[in-house]
Amino acid sequence: MTVTTIAADELVLSGWSAASAFGLGADRFTAGLRAGTGAVTALDRDVWPGPYDRAGLIPGFDIAGVLGKKGTRSMDRATGIAVATVGMLLDQYGRERLGEPERLGLVLGTNSGSVQSIMDFTRESLTGAKPYHVDPARFPNTVMNRAAGQSAIWYGLKGPNTTIAGGSLTGLLALNYAVRLHRCGHSEPVLCGAVEEYSVPRGWLEWHARSRDGVAPADAAPLGEGCAIFLLESYSSAVRQQRRPLAAVRGSRFLAFADPAAVRTVLARAVAEALAGAGLSPADVTVLAASDSGDEFGAQEEAALADVLGAARPTRVHCRALLGDTSAASSAFQLAGALGELADRPDGIALVTGVDRDGQVGCTLLGAVG
Amino acid sequence: MSVLPGDARSPRRVVVTGLGVVTSIGIGVEKFLAGLRAGRSGVKPITAFDTTGFAHANGCEITDFDPARWLHHVDPAQLGRASQLSAAAAGMAVADAGMSVEALRSRRALVSVGTTDGESHDLDQLVGVQVDRGAEHFDPVVTRRVPAGRLSSSIVAELGLTDVEAVTIPTACAAGNYAVGYGFDAIRSGDVEVALCGGADALCRKTFTGFYRLGTIAPEACQPFDLNRKGILTGEGAGILLMESLDSARARGARIYAEVLGYGLNCDAYHPVAPDRNSIARCIELAHRNAGVKPGDIDFISAHGTGTKANDVTEAGAIRQVFGQRPPRTVSIKGMIGHTMGAASALASAACALAITHKFIPPTINHVETDPECGLDCVPNVAQEADLRVVQNNALAFGGNNAVLILGRYDEVAS
Repeated sequence: MTVTTIAADELVLSGWSAASAFGLGADRFTAGLRAGTGAVTALDRDVWPGPYDRAGLIPGFDIAGVLGKKGTRSMDRATGIAVATVGMLLDQYGRERLGEPERLGLVLGTNSGSVQSIMDFTRESLTGAKPYHVDPARFPNTVMNRAAGQSAIWYGLKGPNTTIAGGSLTGLLALNYAVRLHRCGHSEPVLCGAVEEYSVPRGWLEWHARSRDGVAPADAAPLGEGCAIFLLESYSSAVRQQRRPLAAVRGSRFLAFADPAAVRTVLARAVAEALAGAGLSPADVTVLAASDSGDEFGAQEEAALADVLGAARPTRVHCRALLGDTSAASSAFQLAGALGELADRPDGIALVTGVDRDGQVGCTLLGAVG
Repeated sequence: MSVLPGDARSPRRVVVTGLGVVTSIGIGVEKFLAGLRAGRSGVKPITAFDTTGFAHANGCEITDFDPARWLHHVDPAQLGRASQLSAAAAGMAVADAGMSVEALRSRRALVSVGTTDGESHDLDQLVGVQVDRGAEHFDPVVTRRVPAGRLSSSIVAELGLTDVEAVTIPTACAAGNYAVGYGFDAIRSGDVEVALCGGADALCRKTFTGFYRLGTIAPEACQPFDLNRKGILTGEGAGILLMESLDSARARGARIYAEVLGYGLNCDAYHPVAPDRNSIARCIELAHRNAGVKPGDIDFISAHGTGTKANDVTEAGAIRQVFGQRPPRTVSIKGMIGHTMGAASALASAACALAITHKFIPPTINHVETDPECGLDCVPNVAQEADLRVVQNNALAFGGNNAVLILGRYDEVAS
């Protein structure tokens, strides 16, 4: 495939940034995945009590250290991670090459915002001398669009600003939202991605949610955190701004399941229909980034992929084993990993798949550009 | 079928054919409509959480919602209250649209639900456990209810959908319009056949406390645009709109409440909680352009109208900036149902659709004297009969997130 085969209005990803347990920046992310070295480390238990003693934290992440002291006093971790990651992407190009601020949108995925901020606020109300003795400056942190809104304020992004939640499929759902937003004329370009923070309250919520009869499953992955942000625009916009398109968005497909035993069939259908819709065959898939959950859904996901892809042996991208379960950010990290692999494959097609335990499967296809 | 959204060459017209509403002035479309017409108030002392220590704690709580009556497939105990409200409203919307569940399941669908707090009411309860006994004693069932995605996945589970994309849009107090706009785009571009979109929120201690601390909770009543307005009253509820293409609605002979003409989104990128007049005005203009209407076409505006000093004067200023010195009648239903957060603009969309169908403008209640700084005809206290063609629904949120939706009357003859 050469660059001349892509239509001017086709949507491409032409940049990305990431903050993860591999460190800050897309290069570190790609290098970390390629090296295959786990980035989950022992937690300092004085700072991070709770049910987990290991997690995939962004190494040494300090909000004021990265963003400065001004305006960060009340900023929570999820927002700090998002603002830092959006900033890294903007720095790659400079704001002046991203068009009018009024047209620059941001679509940011989350699970429940910062549960730490929400729960700490209620805790203050329950334990203070008066129930309203809470810090008003922290109230906006308890609203789930805080990270998206604060990123917009920090960088002057005045286009559509949307927060998206859909469990472990959040990254794929946010990308699909961004594609529809762009196609329907609301924004150009669009920054999109997802963020997750590690916190002790999130640790407790996840630990209990995964437990059965008071016992956490032994195979449950440790938790991770981070953010990946992508620059989505039309091919013509990328060319005009002299940005090299990294991949074209070839389509997504989402389906629901009621019975967990049906995941294999439903996901196989989603992948088959996504491929057919994009005019591709299973043999075209050269990069595969599955969710690798390692649990019952992970096993069904593997079976579904074997059913659909048959003899094809795409290069695998493994995020979760190295970074931990990054919840809302997980499928955004899978997309980032797929982009990294596509860079060396001019004809490559990447398939990203996921299963959310609340009843949805999804997949997204990316195609290398030239 | 292409799997890239927005690929259809000729956009389809999108209509609202079903409404599901759970509010403090009535559950179900008939009671909600009667409440809007009568100017009913849903205000009462809050019982959803312990209000000891607050000098005043009125809210628009729903005290007659029995989830078991409305949820037939999912176990209410597995759902947080916001998800219960959301799934119940979706079931009502499907029934109201006269679409069988089998017919619904056979169509490709989008489910999008806006929210401010998700299941923060459950998080409040968990914090109580944490304070009393420690986090190791959390109930696993409650922790599984918490993710915001559950507000949309619960609709999918209740209705047994398979061919569906389900997403929650937690863009705070403008989220309902965001969700409806997303459904509009998905149908207009031919990506899906039907969309169940709106918003849901349950009363929670966290949000009441935050607004109370900011001094923006009214002691007794919410009085949008009134000279002596004292702030918001927190409320709860859910509003879900069933939308489909005009062709689909006509083919099955459905009653059409209204046509969705378009919407606009933007961000102030200025202040986390204070609204920005110029930016709101720009969002209104974006919505008009997207819908293909002019300011003079708008017959009435359903305002965000929270009843705080800052919101009402800023929003009124933005309206005058776009519409000039004689803006259309501009009402806020928050006097009746309180500020239902992520459900607010979804319920206001439902109210607009009902207003178009039943030819009336719902009143702004609790109104004594209009603030001259607002300078709007807010249809005080008593609903007005009105032949409405195009209406506008404003929504503003923390984070400077604005969303404006435009609905129009669908005329069988004209088309």
